[in-house]
Amino acid sequence: MRAPEEAMKPVLAVERLSVSFGTPHGETKVLRDVEFTLAPNEILGIVGETGAGKSVLARAIIDLLPKGGRMTSGEVRVNGKPVGKMTEAERRAMRGGQIALIGTNAKALLDPVETVGNQIVRVLQSHSRLNRKAAWTKAVQLLADVGIVNPEQRARAYPHELSGGMAQRVVIAMALVTEPKILLADDATLGLDATVSVQVLDMLVQRSRELGLSVVLITHDLGIIAHYCNRVAVMREGRVVELREVSEFLKQPEAVYSRELLAAAKVRPIPTLRSIGGSEMALLEVSNLVKIFPGNRPGQVVRAVDHVSFTIKRGETLALVGESGSGKTTVGQCLVRLIEASSGSIRFDGNDLLTTAQARFRPLRRRIQMVFQEPYVALNPRWRVRHLVDEPLRMLEKMSADERLKRVHQVLDLVNMPAHYAERFPHELTAGEQKRVGMARALVTEPDFVIFDEPTTALDIRVRGQIIDLVRDLQTRMKLSALFITHDLNSVRSLAHDVAVMNRGRIVEAGSMETVFSDPKDPYTAKLLSAELAIEHETEARVARRPKSAEERVG
Amino acid sequence: MIITFRRQWEVLPRSLQIILGRLALVVPQMFGVLLVTFFLIRLLPGDPAVLLLGNMATPEAVEQLRDRLGLNDSIWTQFLVYCGNVLHGDLGVSIFTSNPVTVDLMERGPATIELIFYGMILTVVIGVAVAVISVRKPGGTVDIVSRFYGLAAGAIPDFWIGLILIYVFFTLLGWAAAPFGRIDVFLNAPPPVTGFYTIDALLAGDFDAFRSAAGRLVLPVITLAIVNAGGLMKMTQSVFSGVWESDFVRHARACGVPERVIMRAALRNSLPPIITMIGFLVGFLLGAAVLVETIFSWGGLGQYAVQAVMNSDYPALQGFILVAAAFTLLVYLVVDILYELVDPRIKV
Repeated sequence: MRAPEEAMKPVLAVERLSVSFGTPHGETKVLRDVEFTLAPNEILGIVGETGAGKSVLARAIIDLLPKGGRMTSGEVRVNGKPVGKMTEAERRAMRGGQIALIGTNAKALLDPVETVGNQIVRVLQSHSRLNRKAAWTKAVQLLADVGIVNPEQRARAYPHELSGGMAQRVVIAMALVTEPKILLADDATLGLDATVSVQVLDMLVQRSRELGLSVVLITHDLGIIAHYCNRVAVMREGRVVELREVSEFLKQPEAVYSRELLAAAKVRPIPTLRSIGGSEMALLEVSNLVKIFPGNRPGQVVRAVDHVSFTIKRGETLALVGESGSGKTTVGQCLVRLIEASSGSIRFDGNDLLTTAQARFRPLRRRIQMVFQEPYVALNPRWRVRHLVDEPLRMLEKMSADERLKRVHQVLDLVNMPAHYAERFPHELTAGEQKRVGMARALVTEPDFVIFDEPTTALDIRVRGQIIDLVRDLQTRMKLSALFITHDLNSVRSLAHDVAVMNRGRIVEAGSMETVFSDPKDPYTAKLLSAELAIEHETEARVARRPKSAEERVG
Repeated sequence: MIITFRRQWEVLPRSLQIILGRLALVVPQMFGVLLVTFFLIRLLPGDPAVLLLGNMATPEAVEQLRDRLGLNDSIWTQFLVYCGNVLHGDLGVSIFTSNPVTVDLMERGPATIELIFYGMILTVVIGVAVAVISVRKPGGTVDIVSRFYGLAAGAIPDFWIGLILIYVFFTLLGWAAAPFGRIDVFLNAPPPVTGFYTIDALLAGDFDAFRSAAGRLVLPVITLAIVNAGGLMKMTQSVFSGVWESDFVRHARACGVPERVIMRAALRNSLPPIITMIGFLVGFLLGAAVLVETIFSWGGLGQYAVQAVMNSDYPALQGFILVAAAFTLLVYLVVDILYELVDPRIKV
């Protein structure tokens, strides 16, 4: 029987850790005096925005800093042993053996020309003298444990044959196979669909609890912190600004920065009340829209959009929600005729968009604008912001250069960007600023209707909050009608009057946001909603937060 | 019917699908080669009968020979007869050597192929090893040497390297064997089994012959390798360094996989372009090794082809083109099969 103190001895201790990167302009400090400990069976969340140094921290712990990185001070101790004092062989045994890393974008983490089973075997055999057959059996067993159906067969699959969620499970199996004591999950579910992400996280946390592992969960999503972690460390610019119990943190954050983060992540009250009466004519009326793509095999077809109908009234916002591959972006692209719909009708303010000839459709374009999903990809990298934003004006209106510049400054102001940004190039902007430029470009023609394609995806917490506030502001000030394409349910709560839920090209449920979200009728809607990790609902944390106390375990 | 066939096809293992699919393509490809060789030669100016008999021949004699050679038949009949002959291994008689072309080619083909075979092995060993070491230890000696080598290898002609090697190692130092053919003139060539003197000598247990044949190979093989390894190294370097920086390599390292194993995996990922380049080099060297063959009096295919061109020896030339095309086809077949085998992402 172990003494309680022994049991609570930290498995991982990071002490005054500082890391610098050598750049041509001198040293840049990326981590400054980071300090924390990880108790056995604890899940510590590390949250922060891009550039906070979270990933560098993970790599510093296993002593695999990216090129140019240098530990300038401090110490990392794994099970009481300083990593710096280990021999190279001990360090290799520690990586994967005692601390396993689970990274972002699992598909890129797997060797593309080797079966996933063999890759797990490879890791296992690097740490134990198991023969191939025994190792293979164990690999298959683990694949089953991480929730892969038909593991015997899947073990023989190559990474490209797996979905993102499945690849992530394989990477987790790869981490668990050596029975490590500590897991480092670095944004492990980034880029996965919400329902898949929640399944994977549920599984990961449950397995860790069963195996008595300690987990460091690095994320930029406060919802994940609220639902899965015991303690949270908030990082900003290489420092830990706050480190405490999650429940206390959510109730009463101490640092100013933490308060800002929490406020940005919270749902805003319902947007401007919808126009009462409802007698107004619909601005956009889509009925039975169908888009068919040719399949891989001749004769095969993919119904990306399958008889989709909805209406949007003036000044109102409809959110089209669904997971990747549901066809929601295709709908948006059909509306502005970036791709031609196969059949159906789209009526915009009395005009039938699908039958209008291209030449007559062009003037209409200024009234319907689209904000694209990937801000950087959608901006010509060789043009200045001024040039990017006034492009629609040059195409559509006869204006002098001065008038155009004035208009650009106006619209930059509208999206809360200082006028001098007009002279910048896209690569000089942050992701949030790029999104704003994308919006400014859409708004410059004073459209009646704007399609926002995933405006809040892949943004940091505060930037996401700012974008949401900006859209809300535009809704009230410009009386903007909008179609909001997203999988971020949380943002829908703050932005949309109506919701349409899409699954496999069809709308499975539609109605006002309050009704659909509070009382989902379709099982798919319910599934989507259950995967939402809202920080407001932290009391119903998904996995029992408290590990059993030391006494209970010993007894 | 087609559907059941397709279903049966789909249950076959992927490797079998690849090999069978490729093999099925060889037949029409080979037919195409025959067609092209046949008409290519017909396009050349001059009457073969006149060429054979010389300028002094009487018109009657020419007419007689034309009749005997079947040149008066329709072109398609001629083509059919040609195909039939080729299938029976009859490629005609060389005007210059007076031997059946098949006999000449059987003698000279293996000489070149043996040279290329060992040359390619050394090329791959040098090219890949230097590339891998230079990527793993950037700034190291090997890396720096590789930069100069990569630059120089593309610029130095093979005959020059061959001559320098002969001058230094044969004339000055006397280490290397004489550059006069594949084997010492006082030794008998081993009884042909594979056509490779080194292998045949071992099979026959004739170690003197083996030593002599191997010794004669050293300089030409080194010459070929030095010239060709540069390009292969450059390409391997760029492919391998890309793979070496990739996420899965970093992740394998974070999983504690030993460097040795990681390197093997990374190398396997770099294979497809390397295989393509090797295939290309082998096909190319069949004719392009002619300067090296000449310097070392190798008596290979390249020399034979050049002689045939110089002497307007059409049957010999036709035979060479056919064999070269068939060989290249074979090499590309192997390349295609290997390529698809090493990269599971390619759809069959």
